[in-house]
Amino acid sequence: MLIAWIVALMNSIPYSVKTVYSYSQYSLGVTPRGDPLMTPRLIETFRKECPVPIERLVVCRGSTTVVKSIVGDWPFVVFGLSPVDLQYFLKKHFTSSIDGRVPRPGSAEAIVSEPVARNLNLKMGDVLLGPDKTDAYSPVPVKIVGIAQSPEWMILTDLEYHKENHFPPIDVFLVFARNREEQSKLDHWAVDRFKGEHTRLFAYHELEKDTNQMFATLYQILNVVILTLVAVIALMMGMLMNIYQSQRLVEFGLLQAIGYTRRQLLVRSLKETSIVIATGWVLGVVVAHLMLRVAYKVLMEPKAWGLDTLDPTAFAYTLIVPSSILLVGFFTVFHRFRKFDPVSVVERRLV
Amino acid sequence: MIESVGASLVYEDHGREVFACRDVSLSVRPGEFLGILGPSGSGKSSLLYLLSGLKTPSFGAVLYDERDLASMSDEERSRLRRREFGFVFQQPYLLGYLTALENAFVGEPTSARRDEALDLLDRLGLGAKAHRQPHELSGGERQRVCVARALLGEPRVIFADEPTASLDHTNGLQVVGMLNAMRGDGALVMVTHDPSMLERADRVVNLVDGQLVRHGE
Repeated sequence: MLIAWIVALMNSIPYSVKTVYSYSQYSLGVTPRGDPLMTPRLIETFRKECPVPIERLVVCRGSTTVVKSIVGDWPFVVFGLSPVDLQYFLKKHFTSSIDGRVPRPGSAEAIVSEPVARNLNLKMGDVLLGPDKTDAYSPVPVKIVGIAQSPEWMILTDLEYHKENHFPPIDVFLVFARNREEQSKLDHWAVDRFKGEHTRLFAYHELEKDTNQMFATLYQILNVVILTLVAVIALMMGMLMNIYQSQRLVEFGLLQAIGYTRRQLLVRSLKETSIVIATGWVLGVVVAHLMLRVAYKVLMEPKAWGLDTLDPTAFAYTLIVPSSILLVGFFTVFHRFRKFDPVSVVERRLV
Repeated sequence: MIESVGASLVYEDHGREVFACRDVSLSVRPGEFLGILGPSGSGKSSLLYLLSGLKTPSFGAVLYDERDLASMSDEERSRLRRREFGFVFQQPYLLGYLTALENAFVGEPTSARRDEALDLLDRLGLGAKAHRQPHELSGGERQRVCVARALLGEPRVIFADEPTASLDHTNGLQVVGMLNAMRGDGALVMVTHDPSMLERADRVVNLVDGQLVRHGE
């Protein structure tokens, strides 16, 4: 239970990274690294060389704000889009409805998706960006005029407002493929094609790769901690089983004296051990799952943070504990029975 | 049926060899009540363990139907004890988590044996207490459950190792009487230090310092 908890909560961090930036699965972000002259050339290259059909190429502006995570603030992009592109963007990211409306052209207004509103505790009319906000700066206050019902995290403003108020004045663009499979091909091609060139790409698979690399060390530490924990638990359980077996020596001695074979008693003992361990494991897993659900509901969901309460990795990690205990148990029981003499029991030497 | 031929049992005590039984030659005949009498520490129980295959002799041999018990595998000897022998030990060992009835047929937990066990408990005067836990029974009643367990399946030989040791004289006589009366065609080999428990024995052998000193019919 404890291990499932630790692993699931740790996994919630990369899971949250992938959830928060999940919108980038549906487009490739391209910036010219501060050189506005590069943008048209890059667009031209995409149009000419892209190996998959481009569904839409959206020229836009971007600035950054922050969203909250369980490990602090994370940067998040605020897109400035033309009204037509903004409608496309919302639709492409599964917006089923909008509470309120989209930003008016030229107005300091924003629309955010429901998870962002929950994460930042924003309501309609609240100020999203403003002159007094260090991490969410805008020279004029930007108010929330719409909340998009979408599972994806998005913060969208109008392109004209963005051009007038945010630095640097450089157009960036998003390249959309028709579906995720083609998007993945497009992303991989672009990362290869523009390697070493004066451009920066934001591809989802790169984000995944970076996240996994970032957490690899943490997982190594986790493995050491868990292995130590497992060793201690297995040792303790082994000692407990040793005591338990000792307490049952009279029973085993009697049964062996009246005709049970060692093998029968060994099988009986191991079967009981396995049942106890399996039951304990199942109960532990069920309780862990229920507690994770409670943690998700109470701690995570209000902030739209990700937590997989059925995280297969977390539950796979828990298998090490019963397996080790079973191994120690088997060894203990086997060792006990190897030189066991029933006469010592019926003669009362062991009672 | 059972024959010990110069059987000795030696164990080590602080580097010194001690003979629990020394050169014992004795036979157990079918259907007889054989008493083994001797003072405490004379090696009576050791002899019983040798005859029943619970111990293998250090020297000599114990034959069952002319087959050397020592040549049998552990599994074969276990099977023999389970199917052909019955045991009553000094202490009325019962499994605490089973009822009297379940204890009586724990050696072979089948429905047929359950009925037989119930019948035996009834004949031993424990029919009404068959479903009680061991802690709800008196010492004499617990030993009677052990008697039922030993008699189950009509074994060819019943080995009783001081079965009256934990009982008062009256209860002891009662248990021995029941064992003798209900053993049918099976032989009864009983070890005791109390000659009055062997009044109905067909034959009594005396053991002193691990050696047979006298046979009495």
